[in-house]
Amino acid sequence: MAAARRYVLLSLFAIPWIVLPLWLLVVNSVKTEGDASLLSIGLPAHFNGGANYATVLHQGRYLVGLGNSLLMAVPSIVIVLLLGSMAAWAYARSPRRSLRVTYYVSVLSVVLPPAIIPTVYTLTQLGLNGSRAGYLLTIVGTRLGMVIFLCTGFVRSLPTDWEEAAQLDGAGRWQVYRRIVLPLLSPALFTGAVLLVINVWNDFFFALFLLQGPGRVTLPLTLYQFASSSAYGLRWNLVFAHVILTSLPLLVAYVILQRRVLAGLTEGGTTG
Amino acid sequence: MAITRRGRPGVAVFALPSAVLVLLFFLVPFLANAVFAFVRWTGYTDTLSWAGLSNFTLLGRLGILGHAIRITVIYAVITMAVQNGVGLALATALERTNRVNTVFRSIFFVPVLMSPLAAGYIWSAVLSPDGPANDFLSAVLPGSIHYAYLGHGVSALVTVACIDAWKWSGLATLVYIAGLNRIPAQLTEAARIDGAGPWRRFWSVKFPLLAPAVTFNVVITLVGAFSALDAVFATTGGGPGDATTLLNVALYLQYGQSYFGQASALGLVVTLLVVLTAVPLITWLRRREVPM
Repeated sequence: MAAARRYVLLSLFAIPWIVLPLWLLVVNSVKTEGDASLLSIGLPAHFNGGANYATVLHQGRYLVGLGNSLLMAVPSIVIVLLLGSMAAWAYARSPRRSLRVTYYVSVLSVVLPPAIIPTVYTLTQLGLNGSRAGYLLTIVGTRLGMVIFLCTGFVRSLPTDWEEAAQLDGAGRWQVYRRIVLPLLSPALFTGAVLLVINVWNDFFFALFLLQGPGRVTLPLTLYQFASSSAYGLRWNLVFAHVILTSLPLLVAYVILQRRVLAGLTEGGTTG
Repeated sequence: MAITRRGRPGVAVFALPSAVLVLLFFLVPFLANAVFAFVRWTGYTDTLSWAGLSNFTLLGRLGILGHAIRITVIYAVITMAVQNGVGLALATALERTNRVNTVFRSIFFVPVLMSPLAAGYIWSAVLSPDGPANDFLSAVLPGSIHYAYLGHGVSALVTVACIDAWKWSGLATLVYIAGLNRIPAQLTEAARIDGAGPWRRFWSVKFPLLAPAVTFNVVITLVGAFSALDAVFATTGGGPGDATTLLNVALYLQYGQSYFGQASALGLVVTLLVVLTAVPLITWLRRREVPM
């Protein structure tokens, strides 16, 4: 009985909180401009989805944004996971004072806000301002701390026996990391990967400041430019179609992996 | 082997690449910000010169600084309260892992995956004067309601803060569920046998033991909200007037006009806000944590 009442309450909350906003989004993205301007939750009188989504693909520069997002998010996430887990192993196993200092700096970078103006300045000095490389390096440098934080604690909780055994068998440092440490770290790395994907894929702040030129826009930037333009911004059907297409890659990945994603975030040790 | 005594020989080099990247792209800009905030630096002159506090005093005289600090703090507190309130309530309801709860958990998590911009556009539509929220209110209340939630100063600030909270509360929920699942079942069971009802069991047994999750969520949401920008860009653009011109929005506006020194000054204020809030908060919340 108590369970049934709880489910009713949860459903009553989920309807205005999740279901209706998302329904409004989906149903109005396939309406005509006039119908969508009423912002009603009714079914479309006239299906205009094909034309709306085609407009977003062509005038909304969706494919340029998708290409750039993939080009920057995928390598930066792979680099952060690789370098972060390597560093975590070193931080967990070496008592050197210099390492302790860089460890604390890395962990602080998780909490402290990024200093964006000096970042622009630093990238200008390096000749990387506005470029994809500058953006990618900044994302890597500011996100490594999170993976280092998640993984260092994880490595510390592991016994050193396997690493020692592998070393006695003649394995070099790289082999010990590659064959022993990295596989053992995979639960923490999965949690880290989920948080990174959510964070980096949707990044608007750094992209706004660090990426210049129409050829380098990522999906959040194309969405913002499209929705702020005088030609398309006031047309809800088109803005909604762009929102859906922009959100689609992560939503598809989530539908496939949701069980692991939710388990990874609840059991992956995000509590500090 | 000397692993336990001297550490694994040669393992330190594995930290090198990440240490270089963190120092170069986090620490150097972070320290440089403390200098740039006190430098006269615009896009209209070639030279940088020492400015003392003049970036701050100018922003103060223009009515930008004090206002931005005030509304950023209000914004952060609202976001933190809504996000943690919703997260804690949902986590309590969905604590046990079973089929139905898993479905609810995955539904409430969907906004976390969307960009804050997307959240902003969706809720601007829901809450527009002719949108479904007002339609619903008009249906249940007398009269026809067409309130512009994003069109009035105070309600715009509260609304955008709630949109930000909406986007992230699914993640807070999972952190609280993880915290609740770590509480030994014997403790709540013992309280039940002693005659404590569900309300009492929650506030007297579970909530105190949930302290680490509370610390994490409160700090992360406050710190995140101090540097908020996306949700504002997608809804009000800082308006009406300057009602939602949070510190980072003001920073972007100064940057856009090539006032880099003043933009750095605003950046330093965000940092100070985070440090001055996070350190005492973590200390205080940590003290509440009890060993299980």
